[in-house]
Amino acid sequence: MKKLINQPTSYVEEMLAGLLLANPGLTLAGGSQRVIRRTSGARTGKVGIASGGGSGHLPLFTGYVGEGLLDTCSIGNVFEGPNVESCEDAIRLAHGGAGVLCLYGNYGGDRMNFDMACELLDGEGIATRTVLGTDDIASAAPAEAHKRRGVAGILYAYKAAGALAESGASLDEVARIAQKAVDATRTIGVALSPCRVPTASAPNFSIADDEIEMGMGIHGEPGIWRAKLKSADAIVDEMLERLLADRPIADGSRVSVLVNGLGATPLEELFILYRRTHHILTERGITIVQPLVGNYVTSMEMAGASLSLHLLDAELEKLLLAPASCPFWKV
Amino acid sequence: MPITVQTLRDAVARSDARMERLEDPLNAADALLGDGDTGSMLARVIEKMAATDLTATTDVGAAFNALARATMAATGSSLGTLLATALLTFAKSTKGRSEVPWSELSGLIEQAIEAMKLRGGASLGDKTILDALHRIAQSLTGIDDASAVALAAETGARAALEHFQPLPCKIGRARLFPEKSTGAHDPGMLALHLLLRCEEVSDRDG
Repeated sequence: MKKLINQPTSYVEEMLAGLLLANPGLTLAGGSQRVIRRTSGARTGKVGIASGGGSGHLPLFTGYVGEGLLDTCSIGNVFEGPNVESCEDAIRLAHGGAGVLCLYGNYGGDRMNFDMACELLDGEGIATRTVLGTDDIASAAPAEAHKRRGVAGILYAYKAAGALAESGASLDEVARIAQKAVDATRTIGVALSPCRVPTASAPNFSIADDEIEMGMGIHGEPGIWRAKLKSADAIVDEMLERLLADRPIADGSRVSVLVNGLGATPLEELFILYRRTHHILTERGITIVQPLVGNYVTSMEMAGASLSLHLLDAELEKLLLAPASCPFWKV
Repeated sequence: MPITVQTLRDAVARSDARMERLEDPLNAADALLGDGDTGSMLARVIEKMAATDLTATTDVGAAFNALARATMAATGSSLGTLLATALLTFAKSTKGRSEVPWSELSGLIEQAIEAMKLRGGASLGDKTILDALHRIAQSLTGIDDASAVALAAETGARAALEHFQPLPCKIGRARLFPEKSTGAHDPGMLALHLLLRCEEVSDRDG
């Protein structure tokens, strides 16, 4: 598996260096030097939003720091949670006096480190709330939805919480809307080929050239089934069927749709997937608002895609359409 | 000779040297169930520990605290954070002491296990490094001699590894692969066993 890198051990630092050089709105900060913050800094009186996660998923997580989205993001090594120090830095740097929402995916290392950071910062008088992204329906049954992993659908929570925070809402209100956005979002992925962590000796899973795996996670976590490759339309049909079974959406509803590429799948194929998604949803009388098609949450050179549905009400739709600007998403 | 800061420095230095040949086998063990980088992660953590200057203190608790900080700076992985949690527990229990009898080690490890359970949510029997530590703590009960501790710890780690190999993992990402985790070693448990085995070999050689 070929990579355009120098040394595996310098992968994250060199990636961050390039990201910062290309995006002056982002600044590397904190004692850990593993936090990206808005160059403009925390705004006094605004609730801060801190996220974090392992590298290897750009634009997630770091790429969503910007106006109307995240204030800070702690960065871990590839597919590792961000360390405690960077989580502390991310929370402290996001704090503008009104507290900080910690909003990140439901992964063991991330959770442990943010929890430790929140405990350490409690003594500094920084109020925090935590909301976890749990949108991957393939990772646990509905009865254990709290165990689900966070994948591409966390973008919608970033957007809703970010927009509300910009309006001057309280920490409790920002946490409430973030949880509401998580609850309104479901995602399922399909994987075609693996990726390799730069320091690892082998790809993160193996799969035959003519096979796909429905429901696989963004680190290669096992999915629901593995079988021969099907047509794009058949894959979308099953993904939508599973998403709508998990979270029924009434005819006449309004949703946002995210067709996300995992890294190595061409945009052309993502639009082929979107085409079918659009037809099926509109045939059911569902209106699509601000569709997103592209590489929003990746797994390096992994091939495949995920499909997210975000059920809107008036409050969420207003926040989804509110202005936002980061290197990878502008509204 | 009780546990002193020098004991910790020696153990870290030996582990750092041993990781050079353990990194690849541990990566390979992790590749069965995970991203295949546990060996590289541990090598990085132990390298950071080895680079931590402990010469300025004789306080065992302060030394454990510095090693925990080094671990937390080197990684955010679940295993690394659990290791840091254990070290912080040791640090609290040995704060202000320049010597800690080996006979206390069993109890210290049990305290660390409780802290790790709270932090990570695992239980004994889930097939994690906690199970290996528990078996080691049992093996060390009543022993107050460094050489005997080394042998008992290695025996405990090996017993845990062998006991859990045929069982499925019940927590974390590995729980999703019961067919793969059954018959395989938990990478954290394996790392502990290999490092302790290296310690034993090193002691004998030395």
